[in-house]
Amino acid sequence: MSPSLTLPDHGSDDAPEPDVDGLGRVVIRARGISKSFDETLALDDVDLELRAGEVHALLGENGAGKTTLSNVIAGIYRADRGSVEVDGTEHHFRSPSQAIAAGIGMVHQQFRLIQPMTVAENVHLGWHDTPSVVSRKVLVDRTMRLMDELSIHIDPTAQIWQLSVGEQQRVEILRTLARGARVLILDEPTAVLTAEQARELFGVMRSLVAGGRTVVFISHKLKEVLEVSDRITVLRAGRHMVTRYTAGATPHELAVLMTGDHSELRVRRGAARSEQPLLEIDGVSALSSRGLPALRDVTLGVYGGEIVGVAGVSGNGQTELAEVVTGLRRTESGTIRIDRTDVTDQSPRSFAEAHVGHIPEDRLGVALVRSAQVRDNAVLRQYRRPEFSTWYALRHGSIAEFARRLVAAARVQTPGIDTPTGFLSGGNQQRLVAGREAGVASRVFIASQPTRGLDVQSTGDVQRSIIDRRDAGCAVLLISDDLDEVLLMSDRVVVMYEGRIVGSFEGEEVDRRRIGLLMGGHLGEDDGRGTGE
Amino acid sequence: MSAARWAGTEGRRLRLERRLLANPRRAAILRVIGAAVALLVSGLILELTGRSAPFLAGEVVDSTFGSRFGLEETALIATPILLAAIAVAIPLRMRLWNIGVEGQFYMGAWASAGVGIFLDAPRPVLLISMAAAGALGGAAWILLPAIARAWWGVNEIITTLLLNFVAILWVGWFSIDIWRDRAAAVIQATPLVGATLPTFPGATILHVGFVLPFVLAVVFWYVFRGTRWGYEVDMAGGNPRAAEFAGINVRRRIVTVMLLSGAIGGLAGMVHLSGATFRLQQTISSSYGLSGFIVAALAGASFIGVVAGGVFIALLLHSGIALQGAGLSVYIVVAVYGLVLVGIAVGEVAARYRLVFGSPARAGSPAEERAPP
Repeated sequence: MSPSLTLPDHGSDDAPEPDVDGLGRVVIRARGISKSFDETLALDDVDLELRAGEVHALLGENGAGKTTLSNVIAGIYRADRGSVEVDGTEHHFRSPSQAIAAGIGMVHQQFRLIQPMTVAENVHLGWHDTPSVVSRKVLVDRTMRLMDELSIHIDPTAQIWQLSVGEQQRVEILRTLARGARVLILDEPTAVLTAEQARELFGVMRSLVAGGRTVVFISHKLKEVLEVSDRITVLRAGRHMVTRYTAGATPHELAVLMTGDHSELRVRRGAARSEQPLLEIDGVSALSSRGLPALRDVTLGVYGGEIVGVAGVSGNGQTELAEVVTGLRRTESGTIRIDRTDVTDQSPRSFAEAHVGHIPEDRLGVALVRSAQVRDNAVLRQYRRPEFSTWYALRHGSIAEFARRLVAAARVQTPGIDTPTGFLSGGNQQRLVAGREAGVASRVFIASQPTRGLDVQSTGDVQRSIIDRRDAGCAVLLISDDLDEVLLMSDRVVVMYEGRIVGSFEGEEVDRRRIGLLMGGHLGEDDGRGTGE
Repeated sequence: MSAARWAGTEGRRLRLERRLLANPRRAAILRVIGAAVALLVSGLILELTGRSAPFLAGEVVDSTFGSRFGLEETALIATPILLAAIAVAIPLRMRLWNIGVEGQFYMGAWASAGVGIFLDAPRPVLLISMAAAGALGGAAWILLPAIARAWWGVNEIITTLLLNFVAILWVGWFSIDIWRDRAAAVIQATPLVGATLPTFPGATILHVGFVLPFVLAVVFWYVFRGTRWGYEVDMAGGNPRAAEFAGINVRRRIVTVMLLSGAIGGLAGMVHLSGATFRLQQTISSSYGLSGFIVAALAGASFIGVVAGGVFIALLLHSGIALQGAGLSVYIVVAVYGLVLVGIAVGEVAARYRLVFGSPARAGSPAEERAPP
């Protein structure tokens, strides 16, 4: 099939495989798909072949291109190059509805359900087959019949908000299948589910492929992929790494394919470490915004003069970890100390006053007021200091001077300090936040996904400002989905999985492959449970 | 986005492009143009229906600017409208909508009438007590919506709006029954209050309360330009999560700002009662609260805009009286009024767009197409 010989693709050749029995005919064949966003190449000449009756896993780290590839196949994005064939005919989808007409449906991470409406109503909303005159009863009956056909069962009269996340997901699946999807793409479906709900979902997936459909399962969890899929395609940084049968695959092999094998990277020690940890997290547990356990008994000390990198696939508690140590989230139990002072559950202001700087993960949502001017955002965390304001008056002169200095030092490109911050590019907004928070952080610096979505130059600037803080004696906690970044910058690496620290590596011990395994939840006996536990 | 790639195939055409932020000066100019166009259109329609637009315009100018009495009458209308507009503009800084100024106006008037009727005190003491009662009455009327909004996220638009009806009926009950002036049985109103605002030296009807909105506008212009509290409110309005990140207690700001708004709304009622009507009556407000709301909404929470807009609306309303005097039906007057407001609103929206010659966005490309996650 694919004439491209440069790709390391082992499994997608049309040549009959030894154990091809059990797999149906090719339903979709995507060839040479490339897609870029602005300057970033998200997909680079990727092939994908889907067969009837298989669960096909798309495995890769965050940003590997899994979702982008699926969005191209489901008609949401248009590829810059490459072709998509459905049943041997080339299609150029201009919208998701054209893709669904060809039998391709996608269930996104964010559900598109209408909360106050019932399951039956949601299933029938915007569906060609919905009769023009409907009654409650007709909708419910039709939904029941559909559910029996697909053996997915939810109370059709329940309103969406009354359902658990797992049930809502099944409504989405039902809705997509009702529109005739033969190929069902599930984007990180287990990210929002408990282990029990995930198990139920796998049952649904197996019964769908048993009926001849194709399920594309997007995930970064090795264990789940190995458990449920028939074939696996691994993507890394927008490139197709391999397509192979799941039978016989080992977690080690997949982890290397997923994260790469840069054995030359070494963790370097920076400045001298402080005697006592400046940031102590002691047995902390916390809930996620959904009310599920997000942090489970996390204990971690960060010393002045070191960068502790938190590796892990997003959604394993890293966001909540950053939030509890900056006052943005309450703990359920445990203690947080800054320089031996207990600050557990204090307000964000107290943390800022304790010289804890924080680049939040959601920088636009949390760190900046985009409608406000650059100068207002520059002092957002410190405006109460006497040089910036008294109780009755803002000192516009010194605020402006501070903002100008910050803009220059952090290399923020802006027409002026009076420009609304929303006018700045993403990279410059992040430079502003990083520079401002570095100024707040004289003891502890928490950087969450500090370079996500940034171009090369902004990335360098932001990383520099973090390393500068470390060299100035700050305790730095670096949280990033980008394993390369964690390994590059950290003096010590801890791995988070399902809210726990499952490994800690320092200096020579750092082993990319073992970190990759731990990130995927493959916790063997000798998997480096170190100082973190 | 890489829309340019498809430009050649789709052809070039004129389209509107949304600006990130509207330039305030452009927005102000476009509002004035909008109002002017609306007046011209109104004149044209009047001409087409056989009336002389220049004659009517002359009548308007003559009745308003031609006599001191006309100017005083206009200022008398402007006072409650301006106060109400300031009351609405303050929570707007936090993107909170107080649609209940009308109700707060009524409750402020009611509370100050109660003090003014039943408290026996020297005039300055009585006036100050009435002002305090008015402010408290207005603030009390918004307390529940403020708390519900701050703690449970209950939409303040609905709650403040609905409380208007309660306030109007409440005042009606008191003025035609409980506090009704039994001595003068003909009117549906309470007895005169014990103290009234003095008129300006040399003025016939214009009371000193007229300066209050201007003083308040200057004060709040400074508060939001130059104080820590104003900065905090603006930040909390721009992005509540970022404000919390900065250590600002957003809930407390919501309650404070709304109570302040209610207090000014109530004060407007007190000023109108003690300066213009002198007694509580069933319809003490000629929809001043709603007019003020319109002014603030069109001015977009700028205090300079509120003052300019409030005076303009007062002129428009007074012109309406003159036009009716010149034989125009009240319906036509209201239609002209509405047309002018629409003109201003269109001007305001137009400032957020610019005309562009060029390629349209790709057909069928979803709006959510942004950088990859």
